[in-house]
Amino acid sequence: MINPRRMDGMRIFFLACLCVLNFTLAAWSQERFRKSPPIPDPLQELKLPLIESATLSNGLTLAVARKSSSPLLSLQLVVLAGESDSRPDLPGAASLTANMIGRGTDLLSAGEIEQRIESFGGEFAASVSLDVTVFTFNVLEENLDKALEIFSTIVLKASFPEGQMDTVKRTAYYELFEREKDPEYVAKRQLFRMLFKGHPYQTSIFNEDVIKNVGRQDIVAFYDHFYRPNNALFVIAGNMNLSTASRKISHYFNTWTARRIDRSLLPSPPPNDKEQVAFIDLPQAKDATIFLGNVIFPATSSDYFPFIVLNQVLGGTMGSRLFMNLRESKGYASYAFSGADFFKSCGVFWVRAKVTPEVIRDSVQEILKEIGPAAVERVSSFEIEQAKSFLIGNFPLRNEPLTSFSLEVARIKAFNLGEDHWSKYYENIILVNLERVLATAQRFFQPRPVVVIVGNKNLVADYLREFDKVDIYDISGNQRSTINKGVEK
Amino acid sequence: MSLKKSAAWLVLAVLFCPQAGLNAQEQAPPKGLDFPLTQYTLKNGLHVILSEDESLPLVSVVVAYGVGPIREQPGKSGLAYLMETLMFQGSENISPMQHINYIQRIGGEFNANTAFDKSFFYQTVPSNQLALVLWLESDRMGSLSVTGVNVERAKETVMAEQRQRRSAEPYLDSYFLFDEILFPDFVYGHPLLGSEEDLRNITEEDVRSFYRTYYVPNNAVLCITGSLNVPRTKELIARYFETIPRGNDVPDLPASKPVEGSPIRDTELKESLAPSPAFHFGYRINHLQRGETYGLRILDILMFRGKGSRLYKRLVKKERIALYLSGGIEERRELRAFKVFTISNNPVMSDLCRKAIASEMGKLKTTLVSDAELAKAKDFFKMDYLGRLSTSLLRALFLSDASLSGNRLEDLAAEYAKYLKVTPVTIVSLANKLFTPENAFTLNLVTK
Repeated sequence: MINPRRMDGMRIFFLACLCVLNFTLAAWSQERFRKSPPIPDPLQELKLPLIESATLSNGLTLAVARKSSSPLLSLQLVVLAGESDSRPDLPGAASLTANMIGRGTDLLSAGEIEQRIESFGGEFAASVSLDVTVFTFNVLEENLDKALEIFSTIVLKASFPEGQMDTVKRTAYYELFEREKDPEYVAKRQLFRMLFKGHPYQTSIFNEDVIKNVGRQDIVAFYDHFYRPNNALFVIAGNMNLSTASRKISHYFNTWTARRIDRSLLPSPPPNDKEQVAFIDLPQAKDATIFLGNVIFPATSSDYFPFIVLNQVLGGTMGSRLFMNLRESKGYASYAFSGADFFKSCGVFWVRAKVTPEVIRDSVQEILKEIGPAAVERVSSFEIEQAKSFLIGNFPLRNEPLTSFSLEVARIKAFNLGEDHWSKYYENIILVNLERVLATAQRFFQPRPVVVIVGNKNLVADYLREFDKVDIYDISGNQRSTINKGVEK
Repeated sequence: MSLKKSAAWLVLAVLFCPQAGLNAQEQAPPKGLDFPLTQYTLKNGLHVILSEDESLPLVSVVVAYGVGPIREQPGKSGLAYLMETLMFQGSENISPMQHINYIQRIGGEFNANTAFDKSFFYQTVPSNQLALVLWLESDRMGSLSVTGVNVERAKETVMAEQRQRRSAEPYLDSYFLFDEILFPDFVYGHPLLGSEEDLRNITEEDVRSFYRTYYVPNNAVLCITGSLNVPRTKELIARYFETIPRGNDVPDLPASKPVEGSPIRDTELKESLAPSPAFHFGYRINHLQRGETYGLRILDILMFRGKGSRLYKRLVKKERIALYLSGGIEERRELRAFKVFTISNNPVMSDLCRKAIASEMGKLKTTLVSDAELAKAKDFFKMDYLGRLSTSLLRALFLSDASLSGNRLEDLAAEYAKYLKVTPVTIVSLANKLFTPENAFTLNLVTK
């Protein structure tokens, strides 16, 4: 027979042991789960707002992407003309035209316009790329009508007052002048200058000296020709539906008259296929900046998605091959990344790195090796999956801020990228596999990239001699001399 | 939690706060402030804030600690900023820089920021990776690797940054000097970056002790916003954070000593290395009443926000005496300063700036702001305030900052309404109270 009293004692002892064991197990298991990263939950579905579109009676395309929780609205007017539409003898005309919008109408001075916009906390900005001009207006939802009224006035009734031309040109001059202190800007501009040589895109690459050549009549001509509703689109992101947006935009923009514009798609510039190394002296630079790249396809190409996956493997982040090799393994660079810019007619794949002067040539060779066929052929399925994971994860992050979201919608509409780049983005990335990546790489990574180096010539001259041939340019892109087999002429 | 339910919850919360309740009845929470909010505190003192937003499949995680330069001792300046670097140098289960790699590999973004009295560590990731971030953050909260090698490496990084910033920003040292003038108490006035000499003197033991004292759950806020499931998130938080031991009670801050006047109000920095003459102007603001902060924020906007703001319009556009203008209200806990900085072409212009600023400050005291100007300032305020809540990360930073500052998050809507109730009389009264000659200080930079 079991003594009940003893049993109680045993039970207590047993329970106590159990408690101690449980506690120990709990602590042990906690320590254990800290040892390695947790397994992620299943990927959540991405539900992007639909991009709804309509064409108004004057030909203006309207696109609305609804974000109902937002108290702010982002408005974008995209004119389908950019710097490559400036006349070859008038580079900068597109930028100056955009910057003169908001500088006066027949009834309002620049100061009054600024005052009207600020009177309701509005924010207005213009930006010009190779193919398009974008005007952005951010505003509180409650002030939409006030915003549209002044927005339509400054665009449709722009008077381009002569007095404001000097101010705008002076500002543009100093902005460019200031940017030329940045070695990356100087290097990238020179790269594009060399890649787009002889192509209409070359007009887009200019320095501050040419701004003085653009006169009021040139700007008026550019505006009259390209600023037409049938050559523009209006994007609204925020708490707005298509029918309300159509009504409001029609109301404010219905006096804008259409005109036939013949603007055919430019052919892509050919990729560079000869060895070219360029150097620009920037005396204040402490390190050497390398920018190298070549022409690839536009974003409408079926190679786009395999390419962005491959780019991610090569140089998208600090964990990518270029960074790991040039910085972490070799110690040559403070950074090394790759990327691409996409335009209407083509794209440009590039690599940028900041290296110490002594290892310029070694760094260029390492970069060429990393993006060369032999290295690309060694890309593994694991790397492809990691790159896809990054791109899928990063997509909603990129598009979360309202203005970025609105700009992405504008980009998709302006370049006719369609659903592939929006609601089918995840699927397109998921479908990329090793074979597709290798096929894309084979097609586009063979030609030789143009190499541009920017640095202080006094510090880097000896190391430039390690190259067979280096062409020396001034900051405006004029070739000054050549270092051939170590001898400068 | 649905949006509807959460809005009701916020309104209920403010009804329990008598002062705020009135405002809530008058005005429903505006769009942008009607988000759900869940708050609780773990046994170890870690305060948790959760706010759902299902619009995109991502989450932002902020771990904010109540520590910054304010906690540094003389001779050890730069310690809080050094800690920001060290927090990426690895912990018991995560090797150096692995934190960054884990976040980048999944397409996430990360950063850290040290403010005067707070330090923020944050990341935004796909929502299915929430556990990963909690694992990373809990590991560095519980077991940061403080080794001689790590500390020396971090010191070198921070000193290199100091040198780089000093050579790139020729006016930086003058900013630091002016801060010391406006906030003469070391605790409030020394620079975030610290001095190179102090950094060299910081030992491994200093770092360890600083970490043990301030980077503890009872001195931190964990804020998660975005696409999250509250019960599941609570489970994960319990798993990763509950067993981190509570730290000792965080020492009280020394009470700030109001500095009434000073024998030297105007300082001149001769032979400055700055390329152009520059001028700092500021008022010390000691111990503002709580209700006065609303008016001060609107006044800040009137003076500085936009090209039509009073100082920009006068100094840059109309009189063209300043090449560059910046300024605003700076808060260092209960102490504040109103600061203006200008760069001019020559000393004459610089002197004209001084006079023009004084004249504008005088106008604030004597003339009522027009209704139109006030409405404009309030619209800017709305844009800025709602903009600070417009992404999951911005919202998480805003909420954790407000929480560490001791603000009741349930009262956000009521607080917002108070800014919109500022009147022209509020501005004039504040200007007369705060902008007195005995609180005014200048620092003039004369170039070589």
